[in-house]
Amino acid sequence: MQRLVLLGLAILGLGSWFLGFQADPTRSLYGYLFAFVSVLTIPLGCMVFVLIQHLTRAGWSVLVRRIAEFGMATVPLFAVLFLPIALLGHDLFPWSHVEHLDENLIKKMPYLNMKFFMIRAAMYFVVWTGIAVWFYRKSLAQDANPNVTRQLWKWSTLGIVLFALSTSFASFDWLMSLQPHWYSTVFGVYFFAGCFLAGLAFMSLALMRTSIPLKPDHYHDLGKLLFGFTVFWAYIGFSQFMLYWYANIPEETEFYMRRLEDGWQSISWALLFTNFFIPFFVIMSRHAKRNKKVFAFGCLWILCAHFLDIYWLVMPTSGDEHWINFLPYDLGALLGILALFMVAFNWIMKGQSMIPKGDPRLKESLAFENY
Amino acid sequence: MHRGDLVLDEDLVKREDLIRGGLGYHDITEKVCKMAETPFLETHKGWLVGFALAASTLTMFVLAIGYLIWEGIGIWGNTSPTFWAWDIVNFVFWVGIGHAGTLISAILFLFRQKWRTSINRYAEAMTIFAVICALIFPGIHVGRIWVVYFFFPIPNQMDMWPNFRSPLLWDLFAVGTYFTVSLLFWYVGLVPDLATLRDRVKNKAAKLLYGLFSLGWRGSMRHWVHYERAYLLLAALSTPLVLSVHSVVSFDFATAQLPGWHTTIFPPYFVAGAIFSGFAMVQTLMLPARLWLGLKDIVTIKHIENMNKIILVTGSMVGYAYGIEFFMAWYSGNEYESFTFINRAFGPYAWAYWTMVTCNVITPQLFWFKKLRTSITVSFILSIFVNIGMWFERFVIIVTSLNRDFLPSSWHYFTPRIWEPIFLIGSFGLFFTFFLLFVRYLPVIAMAEIKGVIANGDDHHA
Repeated sequence: MQRLVLLGLAILGLGSWFLGFQADPTRSLYGYLFAFVSVLTIPLGCMVFVLIQHLTRAGWSVLVRRIAEFGMATVPLFAVLFLPIALLGHDLFPWSHVEHLDENLIKKMPYLNMKFFMIRAAMYFVVWTGIAVWFYRKSLAQDANPNVTRQLWKWSTLGIVLFALSTSFASFDWLMSLQPHWYSTVFGVYFFAGCFLAGLAFMSLALMRTSIPLKPDHYHDLGKLLFGFTVFWAYIGFSQFMLYWYANIPEETEFYMRRLEDGWQSISWALLFTNFFIPFFVIMSRHAKRNKKVFAFGCLWILCAHFLDIYWLVMPTSGDEHWINFLPYDLGALLGILALFMVAFNWIMKGQSMIPKGDPRLKESLAFENY
Repeated sequence: MHRGDLVLDEDLVKREDLIRGGLGYHDITEKVCKMAETPFLETHKGWLVGFALAASTLTMFVLAIGYLIWEGIGIWGNTSPTFWAWDIVNFVFWVGIGHAGTLISAILFLFRQKWRTSINRYAEAMTIFAVICALIFPGIHVGRIWVVYFFFPIPNQMDMWPNFRSPLLWDLFAVGTYFTVSLLFWYVGLVPDLATLRDRVKNKAAKLLYGLFSLGWRGSMRHWVHYERAYLLLAALSTPLVLSVHSVVSFDFATAQLPGWHTTIFPPYFVAGAIFSGFAMVQTLMLPARLWLGLKDIVTIKHIENMNKIILVTGSMVGYAYGIEFFMAWYSGNEYESFTFINRAFGPYAWAYWTMVTCNVITPQLFWFKKLRTSITVSFILSIFVNIGMWFERFVIIVTSLNRDFLPSSWHYFTPRIWEPIFLIGSFGLFFTFFLLFVRYLPVIAMAEIKGVIANGDDHHA
């Protein structure tokens, strides 16, 4: 039943997006890219969470790890969902219009060209799928054979290195190169902070709908991480903005100038509150993190605010002055991809053990106390 | 060990004991207090030699500063276009080292890393002394030190107001705040241990002093409740400080429009580098001390391995930043950016650049191997490498970006004079003088805290 509803939503969402596609194909592709990247950050966030837990031999998180593993295992779906971008990307990325490139973009051609772009995208999906499938399978194997834990510990090191490089470059390719003259060395870190927030918020919400014997203490810890990374996101965002504002070099301020016109200025200002001040105060208190309703609200807020952040990264580059008119189609794409992700997530989860019962640290997690 | 129908290896389930050798509460107190309780006349000869060396070097530093103020900063090799050189390199080097202490006491505390208890006191002391060394350099590099109060926002009749848009002023606040909070943190942690010393020492003057600084601590339940609350609050306040201080230091460079300085990754990259260099310095200081002070069961090979892992992680982050900077210099399509980076790697300072890359990125990768990261000798040598590499990192950032500016006719290869090494070595004299006094008279291990993590101890803290 649930699956039918989700599939219905997917059809509804992608269908309404398709109406937009018929009206204005180029403009609607930006909406698709926004939806694709927004939802993709959830499995990526789950993936880095899993890797960090193995890397640090964490005990508290054993009970919540499996949900993150289900989340990251949906990554192959996104390789399929990338196809429209691969096929129609020509309209999205200004650097692909080889016939009208200026001097600066001609210099970048060895990196910014369609062929290499595709090869890199394929590499990212190979890396992500490789990490997701390997760690998911090994984790299931661990249920029967706790000695697998050692392999999980060992390979999480390589996993995290590959993850860091692939997500950074994916963010350069899919987001930064939308304004191909613009560059920022910290962009990969900014994107990573968003991924981690999305992953944590999604995991926390998904956990609330399961029967895993969690204590408020586990939500408390997830909440602490969400709180910490909300601040980290703001720190990185501020560093990037402040340095470009201060130096005021035209090719660097281009990014912010675009986001301070055509109505984007209201979103730029709003981000400060939606992504920093509001979540900061909502989940700061211990009671908020331990109270399911308040915490669920906080997570939902952070997830939506994160989608707004991606919207703000992608949409201003479409050059559409009346972007708000197209918003329903953009949201349609988001709904559609989110619903497909949920279908995949539920399908992977079905019939599997909800906790890594072979993990040697399970007892530690069951007895976990956060004081 | 069995759980249901699963068979679990003991070593998979069990967390290793943090303190070895079956030490009990009393053994720990005895071991840690031994140095502080040695009578003045029986002071260890090795300590005396070390102290004499450090104090002489400090004297040289003070005299050199006096000469600098008398003669002006012209005694250094700084000249157009390289107006910032060793003075600022040393400043950033020392601030960076000052990062491990607060990271260990604040961030690792919040992450419930109990192994921190064996090294936190030591690292915090290092932090404070390193920040003192750091603060001296911006103070003396201004030249006319008698007007250094221009920095401070004091209302005065001359209508001189500091420029709040200047990162140099932010630095003053950032480093000053960091120093204050780190000192408080260190001191709050010391209170119960000072009380232990007060109760044990025989010498009356020492008893009076330890008693004065232990603030009437009697170890009652009420004291502990307040203490732990204060500790947690200070940890929460210091955590953003760990990030903010070095971010602000990075702004000194990154807000400028100079290629090689102006890049957005600087704040997190400087923080990672600072933690990297801080942990390396903790290793450099801790490895000999645990031998000489007989602390092998308290600072075990497990602690050393953990620190090496942090060195590997932060070293790789620094490597990531070097790589991304290089990539973006090309990707930007900006000829000045690419020139700066190519000049760094293949220009006249290539030797400094490759020293940096070797020490910061390549050699720490040896810590991927368990055998190497659990070897005391390898850890010690690599920690020295990191110290050297991180000094060179700041040298590369500052000097290679400046010495070839936008006008090729003004390019000038920077050469230090005799005074630059004197100031750098002199600052080590200051650092070691303080450090040796700390080792001699204060408990180098947080006794109260490690008593909370020994196998038979309760879980009351850390």
